[in-house]
Amino acid sequence: MTTSIAGLGTQEKTTAGRAVISLRGVEKHFPIKEGAMQRVAGHVRAVDGVTFDIRPGETVGLVGESGCGKTTLGRCISGLVPPSGGKIYFRLTDADAATLDDIDATPDDRRTKEQLAQLQRIDADHRIDQLGGKAFRAYRRNCQVVFQDSFSSLNPRQLVKDTVGRPLRIWKEASGQELTERVVSLLESVGLGRQHLYRFPHQFSGGQRQRISIARALALDPEFIVLDEPTSALDVSVQAQILNLLHELQQKRGLTYMFISHDLGVVRLMSDRIAVMYLGKVAEQGTAIELFESPRHPYTEALLAANPDINAETSEMKGLRGAVPDPANPPEGCRFHTRCPVATPICGWEVDDAVAWLGTHETILAGLTGVERRSNFDATLAFGDAAAAAAVGHQVENGDIPASMKAALESFSTDGNKVTLTFNPEGPVELEDVGGGHLTACVLHTSRRHRI
Amino acid sequence: MTLSVSTTQEQATRPLVASVRDLRVHFETKAGVVHAVDGITLEIRDGETLGLVGETGCGKSVTARSFIRLVPSPPGIYAGGQIDFWSNEARQAKEGPIDLLEISDKDMLRIRGDRIAMIFQDPGKALNPALSIRSQVAEVFYQHRSEEILDALGPHVPRIVRRAAKQRTTSLERLFLRFPPFRSKAAQLRSIVDELVAQALSETQIANPRKIMDSYPHELSGGMKQRVLIAQALACNPDLLIADEPTTALDVTIQARILELIAELQARLETSVLYISHDLSLVKEICDRVAVMYAGRIVETGTTQEVFANPRHPYTRGLMAAVPSATHRRGQLAAIHGNVPELIEPPPSCHFHTRCPYAVDICRSMDPDTLSVGSSHTVACFAYESRDFGMPLPTLDW
Repeated sequence: MTTSIAGLGTQEKTTAGRAVISLRGVEKHFPIKEGAMQRVAGHVRAVDGVTFDIRPGETVGLVGESGCGKTTLGRCISGLVPPSGGKIYFRLTDADAATLDDIDATPDDRRTKEQLAQLQRIDADHRIDQLGGKAFRAYRRNCQVVFQDSFSSLNPRQLVKDTVGRPLRIWKEASGQELTERVVSLLESVGLGRQHLYRFPHQFSGGQRQRISIARALALDPEFIVLDEPTSALDVSVQAQILNLLHELQQKRGLTYMFISHDLGVVRLMSDRIAVMYLGKVAEQGTAIELFESPRHPYTEALLAANPDINAETSEMKGLRGAVPDPANPPEGCRFHTRCPVATPICGWEVDDAVAWLGTHETILAGLTGVERRSNFDATLAFGDAAAAAAVGHQVENGDIPASMKAALESFSTDGNKVTLTFNPEGPVELEDVGGGHLTACVLHTSRRHRI
Repeated sequence: MTLSVSTTQEQATRPLVASVRDLRVHFETKAGVVHAVDGITLEIRDGETLGLVGETGCGKSVTARSFIRLVPSPPGIYAGGQIDFWSNEARQAKEGPIDLLEISDKDMLRIRGDRIAMIFQDPGKALNPALSIRSQVAEVFYQHRSEEILDALGPHVPRIVRRAAKQRTTSLERLFLRFPPFRSKAAQLRSIVDELVAQALSETQIANPRKIMDSYPHELSGGMKQRVLIAQALACNPDLLIADEPTTALDVTIQARILELIAELQARLETSVLYISHDLSLVKEICDRVAVMYAGRIVETGTTQEVFANPRHPYTRGLMAAVPSATHRRGQLAAIHGNVPELIEPPPSCHFHTRCPYAVDICRSMDPDTLSVGSSHTVACFAYESRDFGMPLPTLDW
């Protein structure tokens, strides 16, 4: 964790001396409830340990497939859902950040009284779920959101004047004629005008509604805006208008953006730095140029390869096998290994992968009667008869098993109607700096490389 | 322009599959008659992929749905034009085309899903959540292949089983089918259909289709659902496949796989494809020819190479420049100003004049003709007119 923080700090404009938003191991696990008693049967790990800083005036892009947790992370940062683990700080100074890293590096039981007091002070001053009174209101004012679907995020029964003027009214910034004038100037700043004041959202096109959302977010002159797929529901020509507008506003008002999108072209254009998310974790992060010119994670490469490019002479789009795994039960090791085209034996192969692979063969798992699972890496499959077990054995020995999965298999034995599979256990792959603040969580580029 | 002459000639000699002439589809609303499709002309030739691109609300989907008459009516009205369709059989028998807008509903039922199939935009909405995948794919076979299935059952098929093969049984009859003497024949019918379904699903590279058959749509991922829809659409080996933004609801990584699959199946089954999309970069990848649509009209057509290497219409140019790419500077995207106009009884004019930087008086007062600017490249813009209208023509300064 400390490496990533240090790595991020180096390449930033450190003149400001503080970050706008600092994430430290942020987690959001949604409980899965079952049965009449609503017993918690497990957790969907939507966001599972994300650490990065957002500095003043920059745009941080967040990309990934649907279900990778990018929207949930955006909602955590904007305070719409409380994180279930980790900490989110607002306007953390670099000095405090360094103190915090020191404290985090110290084990819980060895922290000094002084450190604990400092931790308490920093949490009370900057941690968004512990802010009180005035500090919390300052956070709320300065952190706004523009949502993906402008139709459902604007109240259909409120006039544009009410929607855009509401923040000003709540903060008692303006009323009466002054409020109207403030709303008009906000609308003008997003390319709308006085004639739009007394209309309802349904009277606008998608692009115009998104402009209204932006005007509402700008009403209190915030420092930071979370843009959650602001253009994915729009046509390219309108998307271009909105992207230009967002850039112009950032230049004029010195805004800081977090830009969430699944469109790599858009993120590349808009972002200074990009974090690529996969299954709740950051797979790679770095500057936009580094990430696009020399990606250091196979997932980023796969995203780039799958993205059609209008300017390329000839490009071959390449897709990825399979679907995103279940976030309630994420894969061991590197979470991408189940779909990775260059997976190695140390990527964290486990019993579920073997079962999933056997499941692609039509009849082979038909005789399965029970599974005795000692860990994710070690299990015994029981079959109805010895022939079925032998068929599995034959498939593993001679079938089209992925070579890296086979190499990761520590032991494999068939005993009567039972098959025992044991894989080499692997821990999760953490982000590591591969130079100049470019972080990746791929074993091919990190310190585990020598074990391949 | 000379680059594509050979391929164009080769394509031009291919027989036609469908030819749309001056199609007009209107919608009656309280505010007036919306001219959603306002006189478009298109040709789809055998084995080619024609891309239809345009923004939301330009009439792409209405055009596509007109092929199989799925435009809800009322409020929709087919206000003119025709869609000629040559099925493979008709072409081999040297018969003329049929007009899809004129044939009876009964004939349409026979063509829809059999000779012309459609893949819809949102796989989550196009599948029935209450039916298993097996029964949804089987329906295609019951609808269009019941005769063949009955032949496979052998002679002396009881009437009630015949009715079952056409999905015309009542609930009482279905109860009878579960008991002797019909039970064995009914089971045989089911196993034949299951075999067909499994085969159709395995064509789309679904691993273990027998297992998927028993699942319900909510158990499948978006990519899997789209594969099921493709299996459904291609089950009867159609002559024309209409793909209405088949990958818009999917992630890019899945999108690439689905497009590979469609291209592979198209090559194998020699199906013609009408590919509808708002994504220019996708159309560039997969289509042989492109038609660019704006506000109910086709503004430009040509081979993919012609249109992308040398776009002639200001709208096509604008669309291409608006796609963010590595060469753009932030804040410098070339946006097309304004919005798509409302199409309520539009006066004669180029529909793009409200947003066109080159528009002059003539663009606001007359409908532009479709002009040829290359071997197969056409454009509807006054800037390419050579006739004298007594009014100045726009000049494009690129």
